[in-house]
Amino acid sequence: MFHLKISLFAQTKALETKIDEFHDKIIDASMTFKKAIKTYLNEGPGENYKKTNKRVKKIEHDADKLRRDIENKLYIQNLIPDLRADVLNLVENLDKVINKIDEVAYRFYIEHPEIPQEYHIPLLELCEQVCDCCENLAIASRSFFRDISLVRDYSQKVYFIEHETDLTSGHMREDLFNTDLPLANKLQLSDLITEIADIADIAEDCTDELLIFTIKRDI
Amino acid sequence: MDYSFLFFISSGLFLGWSLGANDAANIFGTAVGTKMVKFRTAAIIASVFVTLGAVYAGAGASKTLGDLGAINAIAGSFMTAFAAALTVYWMVKSGLTVSTSQAIVGAIIGWNLYSGKPTDIAVLSKIVSTWIFCPAISGCFAIMLYYLIKWSIKHSSLHLLRLDQFTRWGLIATGAFGAYALGANNIANVMGAFVDANPFKGFSIKNFTLNGTQVLFLIGSIAISVGVFTYSQKTMATVGKRLMAMSPQVAWIVVLAQSLTLFIFSSQGLKDLLTDLHLPSLPLVPVSCSQAVIGAVIGIGLAKGGREVKWGILGRIALGWVTTPVIAGILCFVSLFFLENVFNMTVYH
Repeated sequence: MFHLKISLFAQTKALETKIDEFHDKIIDASMTFKKAIKTYLNEGPGENYKKTNKRVKKIEHDADKLRRDIENKLYIQNLIPDLRADVLNLVENLDKVINKIDEVAYRFYIEHPEIPQEYHIPLLELCEQVCDCCENLAIASRSFFRDISLVRDYSQKVYFIEHETDLTSGHMREDLFNTDLPLANKLQLSDLITEIADIADIAEDCTDELLIFTIKRDI
Repeated sequence: MDYSFLFFISSGLFLGWSLGANDAANIFGTAVGTKMVKFRTAAIIASVFVTLGAVYAGAGASKTLGDLGAINAIAGSFMTAFAAALTVYWMVKSGLTVSTSQAIVGAIIGWNLYSGKPTDIAVLSKIVSTWIFCPAISGCFAIMLYYLIKWSIKHSSLHLLRLDQFTRWGLIATGAFGAYALGANNIANVMGAFVDANPFKGFSIKNFTLNGTQVLFLIGSIAISVGVFTYSQKTMATVGKRLMAMSPQVAWIVVLAQSLTLFIFSSQGLKDLLTDLHLPSLPLVPVSCSQAVIGAVIGIGLAKGGREVKWGILGRIALGWVTTPVIAGILCFVSLFFLENVFNMTVYH
């Protein structure tokens, strides 16, 4: 009986670690994405960018593996029956954020967009905000598992930063269409800006659901 | 031994089966309903601990029931238990929440009325008062536990998965305690009517000794176990969700509150301790497990603001509480008349 109990807690501990690692991946992905864009702006689509892009891909791949592991273990071990569906939903939504980060980084890798110098600083600012948004989402989601009283605080930060990204991306696109750049270039850059801001939008959607799950998590 | 006793005891076994199907389901109902404990696990634990409680601690509550009406003819015992069992069965079938304790009390009063024996009003009022105290005490326990557990969870920063494991083990341990308390408290309902006419002799194997009453209680608890295994699954699945949707932690609080309530109404040790300390003690009376569960659920519902409780269903439950003793009493009275006048059996001395 004692052995059984220890082994049950050991399994739970292993899953706890996987959930923590999954949250680490969100932070890793967003930080690496920021670094990738910085590299692209400074050095162009060279070898260094390729390497950083590959790192984003690997993080996305590892996160997918962790997600599947978490989902399987939750079902196989019949854990948290009342909140299992919510946790699965949450993990899926968080994974969407990582997927979007990977998708945007890959677009830079494929399309090699030409970005005029005057957009470097606003673009880096936008990436900084998106990264900040993802980090706060990761902390809010981690708190859902450990300390629900913190979820609201970090969710509020996500909402605030997401609004900021909307403003930044809006201003950037407005300025962009007031320049003399060829239309194709304008459209390509506008689309990329929108895609980067979409990462924060997905984080916001994820936070909306997280707050509902938190209400249900309260006993 | 007079083998006709085995026939007469069958009504008690029927009542035991009903108790297993209905009341014992309440112990693990919330745990099984929230899918935290498998039905098989719940049924095994409930059966083992109900038996232990009945055999080792069933005497206290049984004595109070004997004081209400000492049924002194085996045919009378048969019909009293049968009337109670039939009432429980009908009520369960018609979807009304029912208390085995109330059914047997109603049936005993029916026997008292038929046999012309006086009903001890002091004992009766003691028992009836527990029909109010039992859910009220259980509700108070639940409210206190709810705030305590909520506070503990908030300040412990326990991981969701770890909390889930603790809740699971808590539900099993508390369920075992609840089943023990149910056996101790409710075996009187099942076999109490047969204690005075019990022909069983005690026996001992090495250090293991059982007296005649304990053998009777052992047989009764086996009937309860059969009820648990054969008919309680559906009740267990619905008991948790009937009044209010609940989380596994709340399910655990409900089990703990009802177990504590059953325990304080059946523990001779606790009664002696309170008496020694010159504190008011509660009577050792068979109380209703269903009432304890409902009291606990309502307590938590109130602690959460009262919005989640389905008050309409509560009215239906209250109707069951009022009608159970009345139906059992009338049924017992009428059946005794037939048994005595049609079958020429002695139903009282």
